[in-house]
Amino acid sequence: MTVIHPNMADENAKIRARDVCVYYGDKKAIDDVSIDISPNYVTAFIGPSGCGKSTFLRCFNRMNDTIGAAKVTGLIELDGEDIHGSRMDVVQLRARVGMVFQKPNPFPKSIYENIAYGPKIHGLAEKKADLDVVVERSLTRAGLWDEVKDRLEDSGTALSGGQQQRLCIARAIAVDPEVILMDEPASALDPIATAKIEELIDDLSGRYAIVIVTHSMQQAARVSQRTAFFHLGKMVEYGPTSEIFTNPIEERTKDYITGRYG
Amino acid sequence: MSPITLILIALGLGLLGWLAGRAKAWSFQSSDPAQRPTSRPIYHAWYVALWVVIPVLLFVIAWGALAPQLVLQSVLAAPAAESLPAFGFERDAFIGEARAVALGQAPGVFNAEAEPLIAPFREAYARYNSIGIIVTVLIALAGGALAFMRLRPQFGARTRVERTVMMILLLASLVAILTTLGIFASLVFETVRFFGMVSPIDFLLGTKWGPDTMASPDAVDPSRYGALPLFWGTIFIGAIIAMIVAIPLGLMSAIYLTQYADPRVRTWIKPLLELLAGVPTVVYGYFAALTLAPMIRDAAVAVGISGASTESALAAGIVMGVMIIPFVSSMADDSMAAVPSAMRDGSLAMGATKSETIRRVLFPAALPGIVAGIMLAVSRAIGETMIVVMAASPAANLTLNPLEPMSTVTVQIVKLLTGEQSTDHPATLSAFALGFVLFMVTLVLNFIALRVVKRFREAYE
Repeated sequence: MTVIHPNMADENAKIRARDVCVYYGDKKAIDDVSIDISPNYVTAFIGPSGCGKSTFLRCFNRMNDTIGAAKVTGLIELDGEDIHGSRMDVVQLRARVGMVFQKPNPFPKSIYENIAYGPKIHGLAEKKADLDVVVERSLTRAGLWDEVKDRLEDSGTALSGGQQQRLCIARAIAVDPEVILMDEPASALDPIATAKIEELIDDLSGRYAIVIVTHSMQQAARVSQRTAFFHLGKMVEYGPTSEIFTNPIEERTKDYITGRYG
Repeated sequence: MSPITLILIALGLGLLGWLAGRAKAWSFQSSDPAQRPTSRPIYHAWYVALWVVIPVLLFVIAWGALAPQLVLQSVLAAPAAESLPAFGFERDAFIGEARAVALGQAPGVFNAEAEPLIAPFREAYARYNSIGIIVTVLIALAGGALAFMRLRPQFGARTRVERTVMMILLLASLVAILTTLGIFASLVFETVRFFGMVSPIDFLLGTKWGPDTMASPDAVDPSRYGALPLFWGTIFIGAIIAMIVAIPLGLMSAIYLTQYADPRVRTWIKPLLELLAGVPTVVYGYFAALTLAPMIRDAAVAVGISGASTESALAAGIVMGVMIIPFVSSMADDSMAAVPSAMRDGSLAMGATKSETIRRVLFPAALPGIVAGIMLAVSRAIGETMIVVMAASPAANLTLNPLEPMSTVTVQIVKLLTGEQSTDHPATLSAFALGFVLFMVTLVLNFIALRVVKRFREAYE
């Protein structure tokens, strides 16, 4: 049973999921979840470990396809278009729906090449000059330009953990996605780097629809305007972040928010 | 008295020392935590045992070198030795016969002059054998007693045993290094002798190869020792034709197996592919000589190439390439599988296709392992002998035409060092020079590969 707060349905939803179930072999990891993700907000998925929030997030860019045993049922639409439909090219889908992972995973290439990777494979910038513009713009938006502009040829893996994660965000931005999925983007970082990432999420919201999975409730409260609480593969409650944290309807949500379990 | 007996005695005493050390250490057990021994009894036991066995082993090694000399000297000092010829072949023969009889290795002497030496030999062996045993036991007891006396509750037997273990491991790794150095030294020695007869320039740059093992060793004809056709044949067959076959097939099968194949398919195909590495090279040789070479000849004739031979470099090279596919593919497979899946996911999530991800991310990250696999394969191919012996040819040709017979360095080494030979003849020595060049080439190849890998690798740590 899912509680959805009033006015959460969105005609212009960027992503619309209906009755989505995910199976790993025989195990049901996500049980019948329906949600509308609005383009102008940061949406946070919270819940205890193993509740399926990351699995659900990975449905939006079909990253679950890369896991052989995973099977997704139900309907997921991006701008009204079925992402599992025959006319949807998964490569194009992932260019439109970018992703940032839990552990920073820059490619073992130069900082410049890390950013240029996406534009190159998608043919967004053919000339070196165009590519330079994209690299500078992406790094600037990710708040990393001033730190790395003199060392663009250094390896991306030589950066600190927080810088690596912002590099990964810049890499995702470089292909101009419509949605950015973030899977616990700060969980491997120290508090200062975490603060920078949260600031960055704030800066980016409005320009991109952002969905963030986090196990830190403070983080969800700080960066998001919409929050969905997951438990045991089900979405328990979905509503405005302020409502979820101050005035949850469901007993389980209240228990989790107040730290009774999780 | 063989060294084995001495070692067995030492091991027996070592066991006693072990038991004694443990028994003494048990008495150190105390209920007071402050008085608790720093090492468990087993370490005290090993400490004593090592002090018994290691000095004895060192003694046995030294004694093994020394004892025969001492025996010989005491025999020569005997009155019976005075009748021996002063120098030369006969003297050595008599001494050898007498020794063999004294040791029970021969039923009797052939030369009557050796007869009187048997008794002194027997005597000397008996004497030095007893000395060997007595010294062994004394050393073992002394070492054991010394170690036993040092055992105290607070004695750090554990760290000392640890240090000994480290030394033993170090020795083990030195064996491999010293063997390599020894091989290298023996090659250098013989090669220098060869280059005293034939100049290195004639050898390395000459284009005609045909050492005559029957010619007089004093009148060397350097123009017959031009090894260039052999080096070319080796590189052409092993490093060019074989690699043209092995690198693409090996890499593509590795990519298929790691990235595309269903796990069930993979569990079948991978072992089958690696089975290729287990086929004896002589069987590949049959295949090359009896099946592939005639096919290539017929095909060449059919398209109008008249001079094609049944002993072609192409047949040998292709079969060699197939043989080394597993070297390339399994190293490439392992190193691509070792690239963290976060790299792959990162690229896929950017909207890269599978093949773009492999080409731009996985492949560069796995490059060191892939290059290492290729280098290993090249070394194997260059050193491979059997296939070329059977399918290529003993005749050394300097040609670019893969359909002609060619010979390689290893084939010539086999040819020169089998059958009748004289160790002083330049033809025999030239085999060592060939081996030396082969050794250097593989060394340089490995060195270059290491540098290349270091420079271009994309480390993902």
